[in-house]
Amino acid sequence: MSGGVQRSLDLARRVFARKGALLSILYLAAIALVAMLARWVVPFDPVAQNLMSTLEPPSTAHWFGTDELGRDIMTRVVYGARTSLLTASGAVIIAGTIGVPVGLVAGFFGGWRDAVLMRIVDVLLSLPGILFAMALIAVLGRSQLAALVAVGITGIPSFARITRAQVLSLRKRDFVMAVEALGGSSAYNMFRTVLPNSWSPILVQIVILSSIAILLEAALAFLGVGIPPPTPSWGEMLRTGKSYLYDAPYYAVLPGIVLTLTILSLDTLGRTLAWVLEDRHELAEEAAPDRMVP
Amino acid sequence: MSEPVLSVRGLEVTFIGGGRPVPAVRGVDFDVYPNEVLGIVGESGSGKSVTSLAITGLLPDTARVKGSIRLGDVEMTEADREILRQMRGQDVGMIFQDPATTLNPVFTVGRQVTEGQVAHGQIQALRARERSIELLREVDIPDPDGRVLQYPHQFSGGMRQRAVIAMAMAGRPRLIIADEPTTALDVTVQAQVLSVLAKRQADTGAAVILITHDLGVVAEVAHRVAVMYGGRIVETGPVAEIFKRPRHPYTVGLLQSLPRIDSVDERLVPIPGQPPNPALLPTGCTFHPRCPIGCDRAICRSEEPPLRAVGEVHHSACHYAEEVARLFADAMPSDRIPASVVARAAAAGPPLLAVDGLKVHFPIKAGILRRRVGWVRAVDGVSLTVGPGETVGLVGESGCGKTTTGRAIMGLIKATGGSIRFDGQEVTRLSPGELRKARRHMQYIFQDPYSSLNPIKTVGDIVAEPLHIHGLYEEMGGGARITELFELVGLPRTVLGRYPREFSGGQKQRIGIARALALQPRLLILDEPVAALDVSIQAQIINLLQDLQKELGLAYLFIAHDLSVVRHISDRVAVMYLGRIVEESEKATLYETPVHPYTQSLLSAVPVPDPDARQTRRRIVLEGDIPNPAKPPSGCYFHPRCFRATERCRVEEPAFEPYPGLPTRSACHHAGPLEAVGSRRGASS
Amino acid sequence: MTGYIIRRILQLLPVLLIASAGIWAMIYAVPGTPIGAIVGENATPEQIQAAIQRVGLDQPVLVQFWAWLKSAVLGDLGRSIHSRDPVLDLIMLRVPATLQLGLSATLVGLILGIPVAVISALYPGSWIDRSLSGWSALALGVPTFWLGILLILLFAVQLRWLPSASTYVSVFDSPLGALRNTFLPALTLGVYVSGIFARFLRASLLSELKADYVRTARSKGLKERDVVGRHVLRNALLPFVTVVGLMMAAFIGGTVVTEAVFTYPGIGRLLIQAINQRDYPLIQGVILFVLVAHVLINLMVDVLYAYIDPRIDYS
Repeated sequence: MSGGVQRSLDLARRVFARKGALLSILYLAAIALVAMLARWVVPFDPVAQNLMSTLEPPSTAHWFGTDELGRDIMTRVVYGARTSLLTASGAVIIAGTIGVPVGLVAGFFGGWRDAVLMRIVDVLLSLPGILFAMALIAVLGRSQLAALVAVGITGIPSFARITRAQVLSLRKRDFVMAVEALGGSSAYNMFRTVLPNSWSPILVQIVILSSIAILLEAALAFLGVGIPPPTPSWGEMLRTGKSYLYDAPYYAVLPGIVLTLTILSLDTLGRTLAWVLEDRHELAEEAAPDRMVP
Repeated sequence: MSEPVLSVRGLEVTFIGGGRPVPAVRGVDFDVYPNEVLGIVGESGSGKSVTSLAITGLLPDTARVKGSIRLGDVEMTEADREILRQMRGQDVGMIFQDPATTLNPVFTVGRQVTEGQVAHGQIQALRARERSIELLREVDIPDPDGRVLQYPHQFSGGMRQRAVIAMAMAGRPRLIIADEPTTALDVTVQAQVLSVLAKRQADTGAAVILITHDLGVVAEVAHRVAVMYGGRIVETGPVAEIFKRPRHPYTVGLLQSLPRIDSVDERLVPIPGQPPNPALLPTGCTFHPRCPIGCDRAICRSEEPPLRAVGEVHHSACHYAEEVARLFADAMPSDRIPASVVARAAAAGPPLLAVDGLKVHFPIKAGILRRRVGWVRAVDGVSLTVGPGETVGLVGESGCGKTTTGRAIMGLIKATGGSIRFDGQEVTRLSPGELRKARRHMQYIFQDPYSSLNPIKTVGDIVAEPLHIHGLYEEMGGGARITELFELVGLPRTVLGRYPREFSGGQKQRIGIARALALQPRLLILDEPVAALDVSIQAQIINLLQDLQKELGLAYLFIAHDLSVVRHISDRVAVMYLGRIVEESEKATLYETPVHPYTQSLLSAVPVPDPDARQTRRRIVLEGDIPNPAKPPSGCYFHPRCFRATERCRVEEPAFEPYPGLPTRSACHHAGPLEAVGSRRGASS
Repeated sequence: MTGYIIRRILQLLPVLLIASAGIWAMIYAVPGTPIGAIVGENATPEQIQAAIQRVGLDQPVLVQFWAWLKSAVLGDLGRSIHSRDPVLDLIMLRVPATLQLGLSATLVGLILGIPVAVISALYPGSWIDRSLSGWSALALGVPTFWLGILLILLFAVQLRWLPSASTYVSVFDSPLGALRNTFLPALTLGVYVSGIFARFLRASLLSELKADYVRTARSKGLKERDVVGRHVLRNALLPFVTVVGLMMAAFIGGTVVTEAVFTYPGIGRLLIQAINQRDYPLIQGVILFVLVAHVLINLMVDVLYAYIDPRIDYS
């Protein structure tokens, strides 16, 4: 196991050596920290209304200004980070725990298992991701859990496909057949040989999908079908802010910067990982179709 | 002799970027004259391919070139891009290694053949098709009018390489550079391509630089030879001189480590150690750490020997070139024993492995509902036996089913029919769990040492894995057993904690062997175990396998395409063609008196590392390609390419039966030694 | 070729069947009675009775599904609860707007993306490659709804050149009006896809540039312009065509966010309205329509790819 620790340290060293990745990690760490310690970081209540001071421009008291109900926008951005990160991690966990085993079984055994599982994945891909999520929410009703589940299910195909592609390429490598020749059972081969060699693309996909999940969650909230108010959410803030473009342009602009930087950081980190882990200089083929959340 | 076409002086190529500069070529001088084939020989990393790319200016941007390359009147190192471009295609043509990738998949072959000529304005675009047809006809492509409009994937490997030759020669360049032109091809196809290359070279009078690792090809085709090692030419001279009177210890080492098809050695003499890494060259003479005559003399470690004359037209870069003569004289004649003398006693008792009528058919699915419309008969009735302690060689060209046979015996692919008995037990009908137990004493060695080891495990864990799988780790001695296995294959115990990527190809193959030995097998199935290795390393592994066999009493099923290696290591040999064994015999008999026309063609196509043999050997160049195993020919599968085929062969499948008077079994209606029958019909020489 | 197409369609049938079963089952999964989901909460008893008759709620489930599927295939997607209009008519009214937006966004994406990819691939690792790659990352990282807001702030609020809310004006009726109304949404979406296009094409070009046939083409003495412009580009464009096609498929309905930003009257906005009004027949109809269109365009892309790549033997 010390080999695993050694490899992780080695990986971290190589990722930190790249400037863009280092900045991204610092930014993401800051966002995560602020989200966790929200109560001690920002002095205001994220939901309590103060109708005496609505739509105030940024000031020393309210760095990002106040919203139409007099709430501190920066406070809501900080609590919104919590919503975003929670939804994204939940969604990635759902997508990964279903998608990875599906891809593993489909790729390893092939045949009818592959055909059946991949047809199911095709069903998930038969609608643009955001519409699929909207349809699910239309059924489940609007709630934080519904948003999380919808985003998570939309992410299953990318995990399944990436894992399957990796497993298929490993199946052609002699060392997988060697384990079979040595007398290893299918289960042994799948979990002790193939899966440990598949972590790199899965890890990259976790990071990439986190950025997509954050974007998708914000988009759903922006459309008014995501997490219901008054829970603070970046997408919901942009949605309301858009109504006050003439009176309070900062309202829609400032939370957008935080959201954009979060997505950019995750994307940079994902590409750096792909570069460092797999010598892949672009996340081209696999990533492109799953990116489609316009 | 006339003026040289190409004159290279003091050529140095260094790759910069990514750490410190790596010298790939370090001071190379040579000339090539019209109508001459210069062979450049060397192992991987010797700088031979970089030299050829430098001549045409096709090196990547990270390369820095010094010295002089004169092609005719032009100094290539100083010429600007446009002049270099003009010279490519018109003055220099290139042929590359892998015909599967050298042609653009989305353009027709015809267009690509004349594209250079059109670009240079030598012919008009309107006339291009006509010219392409003419060029394809010149390289013996059948039906050039139809083929000219086809895409590369519709051509077989051999046809593609002939099209590449046509393309390289289209502009009638004065110089052709062929970089490993036949390495990716089967031996009978290699013979076709080499003869087309030789024919076209003679027609056009071009100078040819032939870059290869294969001494046999050089002996067959080249007029002069340059041997490269560690980025320099270490010896150069006429082909006969190099093979008969080598004056550099590396050349001697190469010749001695090579298994030969024309004689049998008890034991190969490998060059110890590894070829040098260009980034970490030894001081002084780059060969000194592996040299048998340097004897650690100070000058070898401190001073790089210059390339100096050791004969009229013979040069060597060795401080003690004169002593090399003795080394070669000592080693060569006494060790070379005529093949027929060496024969081991046939193993007695019941066979360890008995395969009878083995069939492996893969379904072909087509149509709207993907229904099965036929079968690929990958293995179509193979019978063979391997006795305890015996080595049986299974040879054939790519696609003949030899690997599938090995994998089916191992149980990695399901057999469609036939029986496989290992140690008296029928294994084809066992459940997966029983099969895993039964084949504990049968193990498999893979061809590609780079992909057969799990990259994320330490090599110690890799070798221990079979013991863990079978729950025998403690029982068989634990860590002590692993150390013992590493020592058995010649690796120190200190490497146990390292990862596969830290090892060279030869060392990885040793680790693969150690893993296979962990469960104390009695039979090893070796699938091309040395095909991916350099000649000098190949000899080390072959010797190791022979030592292990003696020490542990192992039986080997040795699967390979290289007839020389198979001859060296086997007791008995079986030849496969299109899923069937066509001839099987004692080694000596099979190589001395083959009776099946395919075996005869195959043996005659193998290039022999002896320039004298060029005149005396008769060569049978087989026409056409190996047929598609999904649509095998009727009757005898070999009849469309056979020089003895008659009407009977077209309709009646020959039985695999003993040939009278020899310990041979063969499947041919007209079996018989070459002298007796071969001259009757069109065996071309 | 025909056989290949038929086989692909046969492969798609189970997918379409499962997906439409899911869509059909939606109304059974939503809170309240299915009949309430079909006719709305304020329906008259006559309407309820008519709906029960039509859907056949007293029939076994499979029979109900079959009846629904049959009428859907024949173009009867039911009526909107809100407006009482046939669902198909409502959808067809929105299709031209979505098509115009999707196609113009693709055009913007190609115009911005292809040069970026080609220049990047010609000088990999250079400062220009790094800055262009940074641009692609930005194009992908900026959420379309935020970029849309920024563009509205600039062009509508500050400069007052363009309207902040767009309507659909067909390019055939009034090219200028279409430009005024479609430019901002198309730019917003186009910038995003240009990031996808640029990244994909750059990767594709770089991997083709490493191929052996490039060295062969150079060894023939072809001009570098021809080596890249003919040999490399031709190979790299094959998979690129697929990605462009997939993108266009995703634009059927997938433009929902951009439509929301600019209040552009496309299919996506229709869906949002329907969801907000709990107009379930309309929700079902829109999703079924997008599903079929999306799957069919994907199929066409596959067939096109098989047609333009000489290596694919489509028997």
